[in-house]
Amino acid sequence: MKQGIMYEMEAFLLGFSSGTVCLAYCAPVLVPFLLGEGQGIRRNALLLAEFLLGRLTGYLIFAVFAWAVGLVLFPTLAWRQVIFGVAYVLLSVLLVLYGFFNLKNWCAGERAPHFLNRLTNKWPVRLPLTLGLLTGFNLCPPFLLALTRAANSIGILGSVRFFVFFFLGTAIYFLPMPFLGAFRSFRILRTVGRLACGIMGIYYFYLGIVMLHGGMRQL
Amino acid sequence: MNQGTPRSDTHSAGEATAKPRSDSGARPATGMGAGSDAPPSRRNLGKAILLSLPLLLLTAMMLMGQGGLPKNSLYLIPLIVTFLFTNTLFFLMVYTGRTDRYRAVFFVTMAVGFVITFIANLLEARGSMALSAANVVKGETPFCHMVIPMTLIPAALTRTIIFPGRILGGFADVATMFGIWIGATLTLGRGFCSWGCFFGGLEDGFSRIRRKPLVRKIGEKWTYLPYAVLVAIVVIAALTLSPTYCEWLCPFKTVTEFAAVTSFKVLVQTVMFVSLFAGLVVVLPILTKRRTQCGLFCPMGAFQSFTNKVNAFDVRIDSEKCTDCTRCVNVCPTFSMDDASVSRGGTRISCTKCGKCVDECPKGAISFHVKGTPIRSSTGKARMLFLYPGFVFLAVFGGGMIQGALYRILLLATTGHMIK
Repeated sequence: MKQGIMYEMEAFLLGFSSGTVCLAYCAPVLVPFLLGEGQGIRRNALLLAEFLLGRLTGYLIFAVFAWAVGLVLFPTLAWRQVIFGVAYVLLSVLLVLYGFFNLKNWCAGERAPHFLNRLTNKWPVRLPLTLGLLTGFNLCPPFLLALTRAANSIGILGSVRFFVFFFLGTAIYFLPMPFLGAFRSFRILRTVGRLACGIMGIYYFYLGIVMLHGGMRQL
Repeated sequence: MNQGTPRSDTHSAGEATAKPRSDSGARPATGMGAGSDAPPSRRNLGKAILLSLPLLLLTAMMLMGQGGLPKNSLYLIPLIVTFLFTNTLFFLMVYTGRTDRYRAVFFVTMAVGFVITFIANLLEARGSMALSAANVVKGETPFCHMVIPMTLIPAALTRTIIFPGRILGGFADVATMFGIWIGATLTLGRGFCSWGCFFGGLEDGFSRIRRKPLVRKIGEKWTYLPYAVLVAIVVIAALTLSPTYCEWLCPFKTVTEFAAVTSFKVLVQTVMFVSLFAGLVVVLPILTKRRTQCGLFCPMGAFQSFTNKVNAFDVRIDSEKCTDCTRCVNVCPTFSMDDASVSRGGTRISCTKCGKCVDECPKGAISFHVKGTPIRSSTGKARMLFLYPGFVFLAVFGGGMIQGALYRILLLATTGHMIK
């Protein structure tokens, strides 16, 4: 039971640590949109819920994908630990680089406004939902790490559970969004968020080493 | 604000190119409320003695406690030396008008005294600096202010303090430390980090070893790292219900107490906190002449920064006197001044009110200030209003530590052993 809670906590934590970055990237798109709609807190909350639903859908698609990858590629426990240990180490290094150094264009959300303009000009789409889905399909290091962790889980439900809690961790930062004006300093928020990701990268690096060590001993 | 000198966009330590003073004719101010166009100025001797009297009485009462003067010279000598040391420094602070110079002497001595006293007490009580599992179960770990940010969310959610210490009774219990912290927050804000924290003095001391810094530029981004560490440790502590920072990151465990190495995990933790101590408390302060642990890492400092918003004191810049020399930006030990804050006529939220910029400003444009009052009036009064609670806090916290350390040193000199 405790193991299960720790698993969910880990997912939540990873999402929470990278959530400020997601917010910092998405808010410049979402805030003007909400401001443009300008229909009060209740309406903004509904639009935000739609956006988050799209985002969750994106995550769940990835959760199924992650489970399939884990099932097909790594059948034995020892090999899983070795492979995922290596993946943890590599991705956590990526996370540290992402957090502490100026690497750009990690997040699909950065390109969302361009795609959205083209999309809405051609088809009638629910804008917040599409925006959420697009920002859900991102390949930033925290997300890749979540993907690896979910692929290492037992069963499709474990993978989905991991992504749901990862989503909840990132979603917390979006909740004050209907009360616009709360997050004015996006640049500072982004800096703090990225640095927090770097710190989480160090933590995952340690987990990767422990996992790798355990797998090697079992082989 | 004069716009003469271009500014750098990184925090660079070193010699600033201050404009030559053109106020040679300006007389030093002597009154408490006198404004000045020069760096800190001397006070009238009689007035300085008068202003030092309250602290003289307070420290006498505080150091003697309820038992009066001790008869044993091993206790009496440290008491007298601490009393004289404390009051001489406060008198010099009042008389010369310089804050940081004398604050730092006490602050560094307090930190060294704390380390000596703490280690000696540990060795006396349990024979080792290393904590065993039995010590943790018994709740014998002293509570430290660094843990406070991590405890708040779990305490609110679970009514549990996630630390193996005692709520009441014993040495450094949770309730007492919380009380001290709330008192410090109300009176000093983040000034706590320069007037109360018994760890900060170590790096403050190391940062004063070299005359000029070897590393001058530190990217602005890194000044936000403490907030990131704060986010990470608060979240992990809330989710795992354990004091993450203490277990993994606290550099000061190197000179206080630490878990006995019994597993690979504890070994990794030990390597981490010892490396952080060596890097952030010793090497980087020497190289940069800054308090790098406080300014670039400490999550408690980041947390405490927000209390500056509710504290009555701040440090302000008189834009009419400021010549834009950026000396304050270059000397601030905690990276709390940058071009933007100087343009706004103040400091960043992380200011620890150490007084270094006030001392160093060649035009006397920077001063302690009581919020809600005009910047130019009564800068001397505002400084004294801050110095009393600030120094009282320093003396209350540090007096016992210095006294304790002197006692241990005397014990060593007379018996050959630091512990009984």
